[in-house]
Amino acid sequence: MNEIGYVAAREIKIGFRNPWAYSFMALFALFMLSLLLINAQSYVKGYSGISGTMLNLALYLLPLMALMLGAFSLTGEKEEGNWELLSTYPLGTWAFLSGKYIGLSVVLLVIVALGFGLSGVAGWLLGGGFDFSTYGQLLVFCICLSLFFLGASMLVGTIAKNRWQALTLAVGIWFFAVIAWPSLLIAALGMLPYSVIKPAITVLTFLNPAELTRLFTVVKLGGGSTLGPEYYNWMRWIGSPWGTPVFAGAMMAWIGVALLIAYAVWERGRRVG
Amino acid sequence: MNPVKVKRLIVRGVCFLAVVAVSLLAVDAGVTTSASGPGKDIAKQEPQVLQNHQKHQEHKELQALLDAAKPGDSLILKEGVYEGPVVIDKRIVLRADKPGGVILRNNSSRPALSIQGDGVEVEGLSIQDISVKENATVLVSGQRVILAGLHILTGADGIAIRDAHDGTIKDTVIQWAPKGVRQANKGNGIDLYNAHRWTLTGNEITDVHDGIYMENSDDALVSGNVLRLSRYGVHCMYTKGTVIENNEGDRNVTGAMVMTARQVSVVGNTFTKQSENVNSQGILLYDAHETSVKDNRVDGNRVGLYIEQSTLNKVAGNSVSYNFIGLQLLESDDNEITGNGFVGNVADAQARGSRSNSISGNYWDGFQGIDADGDGSSDISYAINPFFQGLTQKRPPFQLFFQSPGMVFLEGLYGGDSSGWARDSAPLMAPSPESLQSAERSEGDAASALLGLALLGCASLLFFGMRRVVQ
Repeated sequence: MNEIGYVAAREIKIGFRNPWAYSFMALFALFMLSLLLINAQSYVKGYSGISGTMLNLALYLLPLMALMLGAFSLTGEKEEGNWELLSTYPLGTWAFLSGKYIGLSVVLLVIVALGFGLSGVAGWLLGGGFDFSTYGQLLVFCICLSLFFLGASMLVGTIAKNRWQALTLAVGIWFFAVIAWPSLLIAALGMLPYSVIKPAITVLTFLNPAELTRLFTVVKLGGGSTLGPEYYNWMRWIGSPWGTPVFAGAMMAWIGVALLIAYAVWERGRRVG
Repeated sequence: MNPVKVKRLIVRGVCFLAVVAVSLLAVDAGVTTSASGPGKDIAKQEPQVLQNHQKHQEHKELQALLDAAKPGDSLILKEGVYEGPVVIDKRIVLRADKPGGVILRNNSSRPALSIQGDGVEVEGLSIQDISVKENATVLVSGQRVILAGLHILTGADGIAIRDAHDGTIKDTVIQWAPKGVRQANKGNGIDLYNAHRWTLTGNEITDVHDGIYMENSDDALVSGNVLRLSRYGVHCMYTKGTVIENNEGDRNVTGAMVMTARQVSVVGNTFTKQSENVNSQGILLYDAHETSVKDNRVDGNRVGLYIEQSTLNKVAGNSVSYNFIGLQLLESDDNEITGNGFVGNVADAQARGSRSNSISGNYWDGFQGIDADGDGSSDISYAINPFFQGLTQKRPPFQLFFQSPGMVFLEGLYGGDSSGWARDSAPLMAPSPESLQSAERSEGDAASALLGLALLGCASLLFFGMRRVVQ
């Protein structure tokens, strides 16, 4: 337990001295503010034009930020020889990885908090602002998205040998999960018989954290009816008292599995050398 | 790194996470209460069945009183409970001496009140007819009947009008009474069949199947009614010349449904918050022709204006804001859509087919135009991308990608040949003042500013604590 704390604390410290963290923070805050300025004096409530745009902005930016921060942090340790040094200490792989994850989450959540705090206060000062539950829902969305993709980034950082490989993989995953997702699914599933399409989409959506989080948030914001009659049950289900706990459970399972695979790969590397 | 510093770091990190977690919990609690909050306050309003009538008033034989009256008589009923069913078959005026005091109760399967005579007037009665049944609570088959200020609790159609013309229903309240009945099995509030030239004004209809249903009934005036929590607010089938004006509807599946109708006018109505159902719309035109839809306000619905297989309609000056989809235009031609304001919708418009409409001078807030000659409207047109509509028509499961970032990207790629698309030829650069109104603010916004401040504070504190100290 103590080891995890040490690694996490070190990660937080390094994270806040990392120019990447600051440039990401500036980027996120700037985009949040500019969105507010474009829609100055409009009030953000429920699923509407502006909250939809904010969702999409976060989907573009946050997964990429999380993937890069996490993957670079791990590959940096390998490239700079820190990991070799750490290996001589009595430090387990699990403590190392989970400590890293916790430390990076704090850094990333601080970035998100700053961007959100800024836009919340600025929106209010500009005369528009957010409805409280909508604001909270968007914040939850950003936090979930960050945590999901940090989990994925641990895996990327484990598999990649150096920062270049990490960059390639991270951008690839981001593009696949966020931009190309509908195109790929439409192309691939369009060839399948009609009755298979919906189950296939359902399974695949649970594999893509960006889609999963987006849909959960859209339904929570009251926009479930946009999904059409096919997904009436999803809408009802997410709206029920079990919706939030089950989503949280799925998220933890997803992140846990990502960390476990990273752990297995890392351990193997350690043994094989 | 010395252990004290590490401890301090961990404490700070944990504090930050704790603040975030607490605020999230608060938000989630807020969400669940606000989700269950509105919507239900009216639904839960129990229709009150009055039971505390004075003991000494025994049940009176209303039918006997009616039988004794002569045509042209006025019958003023004293306070009390009267047993139905009753039939009025001659021209009389039936009035309560005190509104709310006269209760007509019916336990039979026949209508509580059947009006067969011409020119009958009924005013101020409370009718309690709460068993679920086929026959309407009030059945009108006489001509030129006037019903005013009634308060009806029903387990069937509230007021059904059959083959009767030129009547009036005003200031009447109709509510569904029995519990646990699915919406599809409820009766309509006011149900007109083959009934022409009726005037329906100032009624309040809640929690029924269709608020006002008109079939084969022409030239009705539907004005100033309030329609809530029902399937459709106003529903026209096979009608002509119906006027629907200044009504208010919220939380129905659809506000105004105009189907297979001609020369209907829908003017100055307000339909809001019709977003819960996957088939919800503000105003729907289906197979409607020569209709005029003007100066309505449709806010916060799933689809603001839905137009399918309809021609020669005029849609002008409506304010369509904060809907999930502003305008949905399917296989409709020769319509004129001008001067509407589409603001704050998640998707401005979707179209399929619909090539030859005259669409111009609307404001779309998702579109950035260029106005070189300074006439206030854009020199480039706004084309409505048919890709998503076409895709989901063939394969509805792909509806899941509605406005996802990848979908927006893909729609952009698809924009190559837009010659056959429905388009606004000269979209406005700025919304007209009357079409622009922001969503109503709630009290929560100061709270979200506070939460924002707290987040900002925590984050800054952490940054401050993390700064590199030069020793």
